[in-house]
Amino acid sequence: MDPAGQHRDMMYCHECHDEWYRDEHGLTCPECGSDFTEIIEEDHDPRDHDDDDDDSMPDLEDHHPQHPLHHHDPFQPADDPEEGDISRLQWRQVGPGRFSVTGTVYRTVSPHGQGRDDGGANALGGFASILNNMIGGAARGQPAPEDAVHRFSYTSSARLAPRDAINPQAHMEPVDEMTNVLVGLMATFGEAPGGPNAQHPHGHPPHANGPGGGQMPFHPILALLNGMRPGNGTMGDFVYSQEGLDRIISQLMEQTQSSNAPGPASQQEIDALVRKPVTTEMLGSEGRADCSICMEEVNIGEEVTELPCHHWFHHPCVAAWLAEHDTCPHCRQGISKHERPSNTADGNTGASGVNNHGQMPGSFAMGDGPANDATLVQENWENSGSSQQDSSSGGIGDRIRRGLFGPPHR
Amino acid sequence: MSTGAKKRIMREYGECMSDTPPGMKITFDEQNMTEWEILLDGPEQSVYAGGHFKLKLTFPNEYPFKPPVVSFKTKIYHPNVSNDDKGSMCLGLLRPEEWKPPNKVVAVLRLIQTLLIEPNPDDAIEPSIANEYKENRKEFDKTAKDWVKRYAK
Repeated sequence: MDPAGQHRDMMYCHECHDEWYRDEHGLTCPECGSDFTEIIEEDHDPRDHDDDDDDSMPDLEDHHPQHPLHHHDPFQPADDPEEGDISRLQWRQVGPGRFSVTGTVYRTVSPHGQGRDDGGANALGGFASILNNMIGGAARGQPAPEDAVHRFSYTSSARLAPRDAINPQAHMEPVDEMTNVLVGLMATFGEAPGGPNAQHPHGHPPHANGPGGGQMPFHPILALLNGMRPGNGTMGDFVYSQEGLDRIISQLMEQTQSSNAPGPASQQEIDALVRKPVTTEMLGSEGRADCSICMEEVNIGEEVTELPCHHWFHHPCVAAWLAEHDTCPHCRQGISKHERPSNTADGNTGASGVNNHGQMPGSFAMGDGPANDATLVQENWENSGSSQQDSSSGGIGDRIRRGLFGPPHR
Repeated sequence: MSTGAKKRIMREYGECMSDTPPGMKITFDEQNMTEWEILLDGPEQSVYAGGHFKLKLTFPNEYPFKPPVVSFKTKIYHPNVSNDDKGSMCLGLLRPEEWKPPNKVVAVLRLIQTLLIEPNPDDAIEPSIANEYKENRKEFDKTAKDWVKRYAK
């Protein structure tokens, strides 16, 4: 750009696109007299923007260092998914070992697969490898050329854990393993996980994946099925719509219905329960009390069995219940060892605290007329709810309340 | 059924007799005390007003460790009552996993009455009726009243 070998400032006029040497004509355009001029610098050439209508120096183009995207044509049939093609991809960890992935990928490839260069192919592979890297980068897939629009939509959520108000939740495998999710994604890109060279476990040779082959892709569903076999997933692990998810949740709830309630308490634990004679303090406000299971009146001095939550019953009555459910018939607190300390109920103040101390069975059955029964059920639930808030799912209490008193807005 | 359970049912019957919820009549067959027949008037403030509904309350052998079973013998258009010959109602404290022994029949009867006044479409046994109740209340009311005239007079 320095014709004489020594540096001379070149000027450029934005008005008339004229060019001149600064030492010859100064900063003002000699052609039109405009002040809107600029010194042309190596890293800043104003003519780049304007040379559409200025053919005066066509050769300059060739002297520019080649920009990496010099031949990039965004409108050529490229294989890489544009940013806009991947929509609503959300990857969230919703809990330990539980993930939620939502995403839609639209992929359009023209039949002229030959036209694409390596950059295009790698872009898709790059996307897949990003996903892979998130779980340790074990598998790496290469996209296969495809002549179709593939839409991959995945919706998932964590498994519903069975309700257990007292005990720590058992470890549950999430419904969808991260790898399954990836397998689904990979399959949509036309490749089973493990890349083209991975040996298929079922002995099928990996399908040809030559660049520019332009082969017909697997049917997306087949690809999904194919991709899932290597993993430990089954078709039922995938849902593709809100309805599907709802259906699976209902199914899970039905399957776990019987196990929804805690299992039985052990005979040793039942035998180890405190037995004590009924005292005056344990009676209701009317000086009477009964066992709320058999509804027989209980007299002072009679021996009853008290649970860690301080609710008491006839021993045979409560033993029969505990042999099937490790919960207090009143407040559903368990009697097993890993329960919370029995005095959590003491945290309640006022009337509810009193309620939790032996008065309740009596008052529940006799102290209050039937007119208040429904209310009492609710109060009991609120008591238990406040002492077990974090461990209890609250669902059952809510449902009872809903059943009794309508939707929760009340 | 254990004698304890029978005793409890007898007690509960006595309690219901001495304080029957309004609009309700309980018939009790001494030969078979585990099946109660209940005649329920549609609550005034509900679409079921003017109707008389016959219900059956069956106590399982495991009562009170398992909940009583409620079924409508009279056809009723309601999101929480199955629209078949069983007419079963299973929600709230009537669910086996939510039932607890201290719950009493009176509470069950009150639940039924409350549900006639205010159905619970979010815990429905008939999703289509629940949907109509939520989306097209007018149409629901019309059909419910029509069924009262047809089946519950």
